[in-house]
Amino acid sequence: MQTLAQTQPVAMPQPKRAWWRDIVGVALIAAVGLAGYWLFPDNLALLTRVIAMALLALSIDLLVGYCGIATLGQAALFGAGAYAAGIACVNGITEPFTLVLIGAVAGSLAGLVMGVVMLRASHGLPQLVLSIAIVQLFHEAANKASAWTGGSDGLAGLSPAALFGVFEFDLWGRTAYLFGLGLLLTVFIVLKFVVRSPFGMLCRGIKEDPVRVGAMGAFVFPVLLKMFMISGSVAGIGGALAAISTQVVGLDSVSFELSANALVMLVLGGIGTLYGALVGTVIFMGFEHVVSSINPFHWMTLVGVLLIVMVLFAPRGLTGLMETYTGLKLGKRGGRA
Amino acid sequence: MQTIISIAVDALTYGMALFVICIGLSLTMGLMRLVNLAHGAFAMIGGYIASYAARDLGLWYGFAVLLAILGTVLIAIPLERFLFRRIYGAPQLTQVLMTIGITFCIIGITNYLFGPTLKTIPLPRGLAEPVDIGFRTIAAHRLFVLVCGIVVAGGLWSLIERTAFGVKLRAAVDNAAMTSALGVRTEVVYAVSFALAVGLGALGGVIGAEFLPVEPYYALRYMVTFLVVVSVGGAGSIPGAVLACLLLGAVDTTGRYLMPDFGNFFFYAAVILIVCLFPRGLLGRA
Amino acid sequence: MAVRTLMGAAFGLLLAGTASAETVKVGIIGPFSGPFALQGKNFQAGVEAYMAANGKQAKGHDVEIIYKDLPAANPQASRALAQELIVKDKVQYLGGVYFTPDALAITPLLKQANAPLVIFNAATSAIMTQSPLVVRTSFTTAQTTTPLGKVAVDRGIKKVITTVSDYGPGVDAENAFKKAFEAAGGQVVESIRMPLNTTDFSPIMQRVKDSGAEAVFSFLPSGPTTLGYVKAYNDTGLKQAGIKFLAPGDLTQESDLPALGDGALGLLTSFHYAVSHDSPENKKFVEGATKAIGGADQLSFPSVGAYDGMHVIYKMIEATDGKQDAEKAVNAVKGLSWTSPRGPVSIDPETRHVTQNIYLREVAKGQDGKTYNKEIQTFPNQKDPGLAPAGQ
Repeated sequence: MQTLAQTQPVAMPQPKRAWWRDIVGVALIAAVGLAGYWLFPDNLALLTRVIAMALLALSIDLLVGYCGIATLGQAALFGAGAYAAGIACVNGITEPFTLVLIGAVAGSLAGLVMGVVMLRASHGLPQLVLSIAIVQLFHEAANKASAWTGGSDGLAGLSPAALFGVFEFDLWGRTAYLFGLGLLLTVFIVLKFVVRSPFGMLCRGIKEDPVRVGAMGAFVFPVLLKMFMISGSVAGIGGALAAISTQVVGLDSVSFELSANALVMLVLGGIGTLYGALVGTVIFMGFEHVVSSINPFHWMTLVGVLLIVMVLFAPRGLTGLMETYTGLKLGKRGGRA
Repeated sequence: MQTIISIAVDALTYGMALFVICIGLSLTMGLMRLVNLAHGAFAMIGGYIASYAARDLGLWYGFAVLLAILGTVLIAIPLERFLFRRIYGAPQLTQVLMTIGITFCIIGITNYLFGPTLKTIPLPRGLAEPVDIGFRTIAAHRLFVLVCGIVVAGGLWSLIERTAFGVKLRAAVDNAAMTSALGVRTEVVYAVSFALAVGLGALGGVIGAEFLPVEPYYALRYMVTFLVVVSVGGAGSIPGAVLACLLLGAVDTTGRYLMPDFGNFFFYAAVILIVCLFPRGLLGRA
Repeated sequence: MAVRTLMGAAFGLLLAGTASAETVKVGIIGPFSGPFALQGKNFQAGVEAYMAANGKQAKGHDVEIIYKDLPAANPQASRALAQELIVKDKVQYLGGVYFTPDALAITPLLKQANAPLVIFNAATSAIMTQSPLVVRTSFTTAQTTTPLGKVAVDRGIKKVITTVSDYGPGVDAENAFKKAFEAAGGQVVESIRMPLNTTDFSPIMQRVKDSGAEAVFSFLPSGPTTLGYVKAYNDTGLKQAGIKFLAPGDLTQESDLPALGDGALGLLTSFHYAVSHDSPENKKFVEGATKAIGGADQLSFPSVGAYDGMHVIYKMIEATDGKQDAEKAVNAVKGLSWTSPRGPVSIDPETRHVTQNIYLREVAKGQDGKTYNKEIQTFPNQKDPGLAPAGQ
């Protein structure tokens, strides 16, 4: 990986000012997360759901925003994590951190499989189609293996052990939420390092111009495959969190719909900055919750309008909109994104 | 042997129904570089108009089909003018987002106007009855779909390859700036091809309603199928779309006959195989 | 600090409704939007019909309903909604639930919440074993299917091929039919499981034809797939060839019948409720529910599950005098029996699942030219065979 230094000009890093901004960013996420805990103590299960979705959206951002790989099948990785954690939990492994680890490993293995297949195609549409086909195959497999997964009835009967042996995953969902928030922060910090690392730079270089990066002597395929595995482990952690906090894993966690929803949330927030995934998820799910409790019947129309308006007036997502108006740069984007 | 022919007939007719619905999408994606996930929504609008005309107003089937095509195009024109025109040439993700948004809106409005129940399009007597074709009976409607598919494929091919409009369209696709410098009004060419694509979608929605029943979630339920079929065929290629529909129809139908329990595995495994071997689709342009 | 409180209050108002101390709140979770919105509307119609007929008070306590929308099977969302209902809205009872995984996501909460769950639909046997605080007023697939085995044999059918959608309820139906049919002396020559997203059923019909069976037993989720299936059954000439069609009543639910048209005539289905059921209770119910839902052709079986579910909840409120005591409430309705719009029903004290008549129906044409499910045979007091001795 000696070529890394040479790829830096592609994405112009600004290491000096970046680190304190990241610390502020992480502190802000933690503050918002804790504010959510104090402000909505009765909606913690919903907020935990948001965190699981945010992890999924983050994992998509790694591929879409940093590698230029379009995917509509990310739920395959999320579901792999959820089912792996769920099956482990039913079979007696109930320690939450172990379950998250199992989810992450399962997710990254699924990411490996998905990457090997999807990287056969080199650009947008075929990759989208491959990702759809893969998530459908995963869905079908989960449905077929009902002895393991419970099929369409769902995998029930998970009872994860108390966190640190003290904090139960209970009705109020405080443990689940804080556990999720901790996971999210940890993952976010790790990912900030990843995308800043020479490896992350290389990925962005590949996004800009894979041929040129290849010509400079880097191997494109293994780099992208590695990112697929990292992305898979993030999605897998999200899945495991969903499994632990819900105590049921359903087929919806490996569905095309979930993948599409997460992608929509990510694009809404803005791709190519890890913050976009979080902003998009929170705004979208908050919007969904409020609108659907006021009038569920028209919720779909309103979301449609929201998407159209976004494309027309904020094509770079909410974070893009913010950057335009505040001049604050949240992350580095490719010129063509 | 008889069984094989019988399955082949099923596969052929099912594939043709898919073809008529999808060819419009293939045109928009291949020629206009627009990933229009709302295509299914237009097919659905066609189905609803035909259902309203034929069932509630009692009009003749052929007339209902015409009305469906015209009505859908009429609805699509302002959408093209105000929404789709903004995303020609935009990144694919943007197009996906916008067209998903449009799909959601159409679903929501349809649900509000027509309710959530299934809508049928009553067939004329001649098409409704099973016909004996020697070794088995087949719904006359299936034969009708087959004929429609052949007519659409032939008509489109000659339109694009043999007419002045076709020349302009192909030129606009290859180099829009140059074409417009030569005095061709490319936005008119685009608008006409968009209308054509939508009209074909509506036709497909109507005649394919026996396979894919018309209901508000039609647009979402079959979105993936349509997208997959077009990508496998190679966006913009008519022979490619025919080939993809027949091939996937055959895989699907045979898979469901031989091993129905694993029907979906066959279908998606075939898709993965084809896309891996031909990333631009079977007959896609490089 | 003031800002925080203010914001909290503002968001609280936004998210919740109003609260009042004396009322007993009931939270109902169902698909009120999305592809299954019609079934959710039926929940609502059943609830409203019951409250219109029996008043908005139970033993002097105001009953307030809070509806929560859950468009498709999504256990995570289900748990979040249930939690919100319990913790924030302080409901004493949970009801509704259309899909099995959604119910399974709620059951672990019930004990801590001290709230019973009355299921209006979700039809998998195993849910009942997950928590002693669950009562169900709908049906199970095994319950509605089992009588068909005897029906088939009585009609001289010896060989049957089963074709079911490849998901939980489909597999339940296949197993239940096979067991009943083979116990009665019949033979299932082949069992086919069709992927849920199948749109062209001709190849399946070809299989049916090739199998040499005298009848086909089917299960598909109600909705668009049913239409394609029944069409294929007619178009491929199976009907003309005299191959009988047997299915649980999900296939010919009343709201799908107009779309199925004359093609459905003669289909034999078994189910716990037909809108056409001839009884004074049902007349009253249909009248009220039609008014609530806004059109007679939208009325279907989930409405009666909801109607009886509300009856159970009212009885629970009466038994506990409006106090929150889940165990007492559930114990009070064990063995409860009443006359429902569908006929005489009771809550099995062992399983807490509804014991009811199952009717054999044939799709027939009424005097108004519309098709309907005509009840032609009754199997009284059917329990859920899926919960029989061995459990699930």
